[in-house]
Amino acid sequence: MGLIKTVGLTKTYNGTNAVDGIDLSIKEGVCTALLGPNGAGKTTTLNMLTGLINATSGTISFDDRYMGDRRKYIGYLPQYPKFYGWMTGEEYIIFSGQLAGLTKKEALSRSDELLSLVGLSEDKKKRVSGYSGGMKQRLGIAQSLIHSPKLLILDEPVSALDPIGRREVLELMKTLKEKTSILFSTHVLHDAEEICEEIFIIKKGKLIIEGDLVELQRKYQKPTIYLNTEEPIEDWSTTIKQKEWLRHMDVKKNKITVTVEDMDMAREALLTDESLRKLKINSFEVAKTTLEDLFMEVTGK
Amino acid sequence: MEEILNELQSVRWDLLAPIAIVSFVLMIVAMVDCFKHGKTNGPQWVWILVIVFVNLIGPILYFIFGRRSE
Amino acid sequence: MKQWTILFKKEFKESLRNFKWVWIPLVFILLGITQPVTSYYLPEILKNFGGMPEGVIMEFPMPTAPQVLAETLGQFNQIGILVLVLAFMGVVAGERNSGTNIMVLVKPVSYTAYMLSKWAHMTLLAFVSYLSGFLIALYYTYQLIGSVPASDVVSGFVVYTLWLLFVTTIVLLFSTIFKSTAAVAALTLGLSIILSLLSSITPELMQWSPGMLASHSYYLFQTGEANDGLWLSVVSTVLLVVAMLSISVYIFKKKEVATHTS
Repeated sequence: MGLIKTVGLTKTYNGTNAVDGIDLSIKEGVCTALLGPNGAGKTTTLNMLTGLINATSGTISFDDRYMGDRRKYIGYLPQYPKFYGWMTGEEYIIFSGQLAGLTKKEALSRSDELLSLVGLSEDKKKRVSGYSGGMKQRLGIAQSLIHSPKLLILDEPVSALDPIGRREVLELMKTLKEKTSILFSTHVLHDAEEICEEIFIIKKGKLIIEGDLVELQRKYQKPTIYLNTEEPIEDWSTTIKQKEWLRHMDVKKNKITVTVEDMDMAREALLTDESLRKLKINSFEVAKTTLEDLFMEVTGK
Repeated sequence: MEEILNELQSVRWDLLAPIAIVSFVLMIVAMVDCFKHGKTNGPQWVWILVIVFVNLIGPILYFIFGRRSE
Repeated sequence: MKQWTILFKKEFKESLRNFKWVWIPLVFILLGITQPVTSYYLPEILKNFGGMPEGVIMEFPMPTAPQVLAETLGQFNQIGILVLVLAFMGVVAGERNSGTNIMVLVKPVSYTAYMLSKWAHMTLLAFVSYLSGFLIALYYTYQLIGSVPASDVVSGFVVYTLWLLFVTTIVLLFSTIFKSTAAVAALTLGLSIILSLLSSITPELMQWSPGMLASHSYYLFQTGEANDGLWLSVVSTVLLVVAMLSISVYIFKKKEVATHTS
């Protein structure tokens, strides 16, 4: 049973589907990434999960064990968190905690804990209006954790940050995922690969690829040979079309990219091919495609 | 001359003074906020001038239009 | 209820920090002082500096105490309401536009509590400002001109309070509907002016109107008695306030918190 599950989740704005029939199932105890290019519908999807907007159609169900308003079990950090600048960092966290149902005392001790976790202990008495972007992001994470949510939803948590801030937040997320399930959106596969177990790739509001990250990586890791010859290679390429080790090929004048089923067989066959040798091989490279290639292919254009 | 003096004495200064006091307090509060808060619509020094020199309504104009919220 | 208190405290603290709790009451206090003072000294000032042609004898009768109180409410009705509307036009729209409401409403917070806390705070601030201005005006009127029976003062005061309540509720409603704070201010002021004008032009048709409340309270100051139709406009105002509050909450719930960006 997923922690949160959607069926046919759809959001329509002015006749176009920003999110188009998405079925998600977020597992408990797992870090999940919602991947996709800008405008794919990531934020809209997250907003529906948090209840900030209503789905046009489709359903969202939260784990039966957690009764009532699902906002009680969700911590959320928007892409651009906006605070009451007149409050101090500490006041904001306590305010958030009280809204989430903690007593003032609980909120106070929890805020101490969280502010030191995100490294804001020294600045907690300062007004939020004076915080830097990175500090606001960390304060945002602290407020999202105040009620020890079952599911932490982060919208592009690192995209607005500089490399150092990015590293800090990613490290923080690694610590957090020990204690709580995380769902975050990003347009950078690398961020997802670094901390996630599960990914969902969406494009134009539709779910394209989903599953366990390691499995997907394996699945899309296809052995590939890049060949470059002095003479044109097109004519020769027809001779290998029927080989059982071939999966796919892509020919361009003097270059050929061969994706293969069995690397050893392919290598043996190609290197002993007399007619290929006559074309004068310039380079022969063995490599593997990655999820990155797939992601670029899927999200590109 | 004597008449005017008499009339000036009959004016209830104890009742008029609070007007000056209240507008002075308003001015001080607006000044303090303008400096401390620091975010204004338009240049800050213009608002300082408005607060100090536009009698009575200067501070109010500042709070309504000059102060940029956070 | 607990959340309501937290949200209310937040509103209160915010208005303390941006000095709304200082300057708005001070504006009403200033109005409460200046009106009786002007009413008292105006005849004299006109007599001395009016530049009346020689030989013209004009009598400027000293206004009565109830008149001065009514004139003070007249000041509150113009400048006071202008100030309140401008100060609170962003009560809901402001947080929507800046996005500060997102992290609040993503918590298990009742939308109704969120709206009611804003309304209650705004109304309280308006009431305290009005009360302090009125008390000062009462003191000055007593010192300079004379007294008005306490019961008349209280009943007139209460009736006018309802009109203020009506205005702050319109601000809440419009601030929920419209994004532009300028539109909120313009429409609230426009509507309250129209209601007041219609009530003075065609009182017979406007018996139900909240716009009648101000003149009812003037009448109470002067006669101590309820004018015809007082109860009708009191009841309709209360009903309108409840209706507008419910509509505001309903619209707020219906409107989505997060706005579509692309």
